[in-house]
Amino acid sequence: MKKLLVLLMCMLVIVGMLFVGCKAEEEAVKEVKEEVAEKPAEVDVLKIVLLLNGNLGDKSFFDSADNGMKMLKEEYGDKIETRTIEMSYDETKWEPTLLDVSEEDYDIIIVGTWQITEMLEAAAPMYPDNKYVIFDTAVNYAGGDFSNVYSIGYKQNEVSFVAGALAAKVTVSDMPLANKDKVVGFLGGMDIPVINDFLVGYIEGVQYVDKDIKVAISYIGSFSDSPKGKEMALAQYNQGADIGFNVAGQAGLGQLDAAKDVQRYAIGVDSDQALIFVDSDPEKANLITTSALKRVDNSLFRAVTMHMEGTAPYGEAEVLGFAEECVGLANNDIFKSVVPKDIRDFVLDVEQKIIDGEIIVSSAFGLTTEELNEIRNAVK
Amino acid sequence: MKDFLQIIFTTQFGYSVLRVTTPILFAALAALVSDRAGVINIALEGIMLITALTGVLFSTWFHSAWLGLLMAVIMGTLTGMLLGYFHLKLKTNVILAAVALNLLASGGTIFVLYLIAGDKGISSSLASLTLPKITIPLLDKIPVLGPILSGHNVLTYFALLSVFLMHYFIYKTPMGMRIRAVGENPEAADSVGIGVKKTQFIALAMSGMIASFGGAYMSMGYVSWFSRDMTAGRGFIALAAEAMGGATPIGSFLASLLFGFFDALSNSLQLLRVPAEFVQMIPYVATVVGLVLYTAAKRNQYQRMLIKIGRQLEPEK
Repeated sequence: MKKLLVLLMCMLVIVGMLFVGCKAEEEAVKEVKEEVAEKPAEVDVLKIVLLLNGNLGDKSFFDSADNGMKMLKEEYGDKIETRTIEMSYDETKWEPTLLDVSEEDYDIIIVGTWQITEMLEAAAPMYPDNKYVIFDTAVNYAGGDFSNVYSIGYKQNEVSFVAGALAAKVTVSDMPLANKDKVVGFLGGMDIPVINDFLVGYIEGVQYVDKDIKVAISYIGSFSDSPKGKEMALAQYNQGADIGFNVAGQAGLGQLDAAKDVQRYAIGVDSDQALIFVDSDPEKANLITTSALKRVDNSLFRAVTMHMEGTAPYGEAEVLGFAEECVGLANNDIFKSVVPKDIRDFVLDVEQKIIDGEIIVSSAFGLTTEELNEIRNAVK
Repeated sequence: MKDFLQIIFTTQFGYSVLRVTTPILFAALAALVSDRAGVINIALEGIMLITALTGVLFSTWFHSAWLGLLMAVIMGTLTGMLLGYFHLKLKTNVILAAVALNLLASGGTIFVLYLIAGDKGISSSLASLTLPKITIPLLDKIPVLGPILSGHNVLTYFALLSVFLMHYFIYKTPMGMRIRAVGENPEAADSVGIGVKKTQFIALAMSGMIASFGGAYMSMGYVSWFSRDMTAGRGFIALAAEAMGGATPIGSFLASLLFGFFDALSNSLQLLRVPAEFVQMIPYVATVVGLVLYTAAKRNQYQRMLIKIGRQLEPEK
């Protein structure tokens, strides 16, 4: 009986391996064929590679970057070839992958986030013929020859200001789930400049409406631990916050779950997070009043288009905002149905004032830790 | 300081301690039963991940959270048995086999999730269900205690109940006795006719089964989805809790509760003017301090025992 079992298991494993083998071979053949087929056209095809130092499926930041690639493919079709490489959250894989890709014959290599900056600063001068685009941070142009690197920053402080103004209006409003406490929440992924740029804008937005409103601030310490994110968001809601803003990638999704548990409001980030849940969990989606969009996809689309037109500002850093449609508030159906009209009008008015330059929003970049602590402690 | 007390002495804080403790407690009990049989199961992290995903998938397909839980438990038991098969039949080192299982679980769950849901991070596109929360009649009317103890997920209550079940099982049943005998001295157990390997195999299967409740709780109670590496080290913290609890059910429970307390504290403390990095460190520092205290206490006990034996021996000289 036992022998029979062992035999059966062995058979299963062998058959399984055979199948896997077959498939791999088939794929290999296919790939070779594809390569052969593509060879003649290769001359004028623009080859773009996107390196993500995380994984797809975060429903915010990285997914948005990948969406940029899809938009490009849709727009330019055969003229370009895009590839997205997920380097995973394992930091030891990032630098080797960047160097490997730099050796290959890509026309544009796109990377993102502050964590990659130093690696790119080391790699870019070694491959002066490559073109690099780095988003959500900037290389230090004063520190070396980076004439082949184009840095994209985002005015997340500005969209965050609008989100803060909305949160403040909601917490003092008589919306059904708003309470009497003048407290709003902010859930950050890590205590790093980009996240703090969101925070500073958010705090200023809140104070623009009412100086007495307190902001409960927590950092999860991770962009992937969503149970921890939920736990921290619950702590904020229990402290009297009736609306919270998550800026923590995948970990921030925990806040949306917490909002549903205790029936409070939330503000999404990067992508339109209400749309993610509108089919699978409409109750949750209806609590996500809006999302502070950081359109990585639009900015990458813009960068590649400029490259094709020959106008891409390599050797420079650009900071994109409302005007380039690279940040914005998700003006979706839930926003329109959940948020009362007077608040909506107010928020859109604030947005317009920022675009017109009537409101100047501070940035966290360049602030010292002491200055930042002062800002944070002032609203606790 | 006043703010600090305000956070600790709220019913919500007490409630969140129990909620945070639940997965650690299940995993600690799972570690306990395998440790007592002399085959410590460090694959708890992986088993919890696998069962968390299983629960989400089957609750979606069957439209029943309970069937999802059942499948998760079956899957966890099978994984425990697989570890037993590797170690007892194929003679691999139990630690190495468990490490392999953990790595397999981390990548494998994402692979399966991608095949089924087309997502690599989080299963939010699946309409998975959660296990119900239970309001205990009468108890929920009592001030302070009511809000802390009532209204938890059904698995939280089962975790608390499991402590006593495990106590009874380990100390009062023949099977528990056999597990302890095998763990204490396999040769002696063998000499009185206890099947050592069979007992260890059963212990590992049980360990997988108990851990699977923790896994199911993660994705069907704690939060309502599966996400990449969502157990985030809880399986390992549980091993520390079990060791600190001296491999006894009650001790493990108290140690788990301690870790749960510090974890919950770290979640709430950030709202005060405490640096985030310091707060994030707390649960881990508590683990290290706990282990040091435990070892020191044990050493004292050991020395006292030696002195006692010495005294008993003296008159005979």
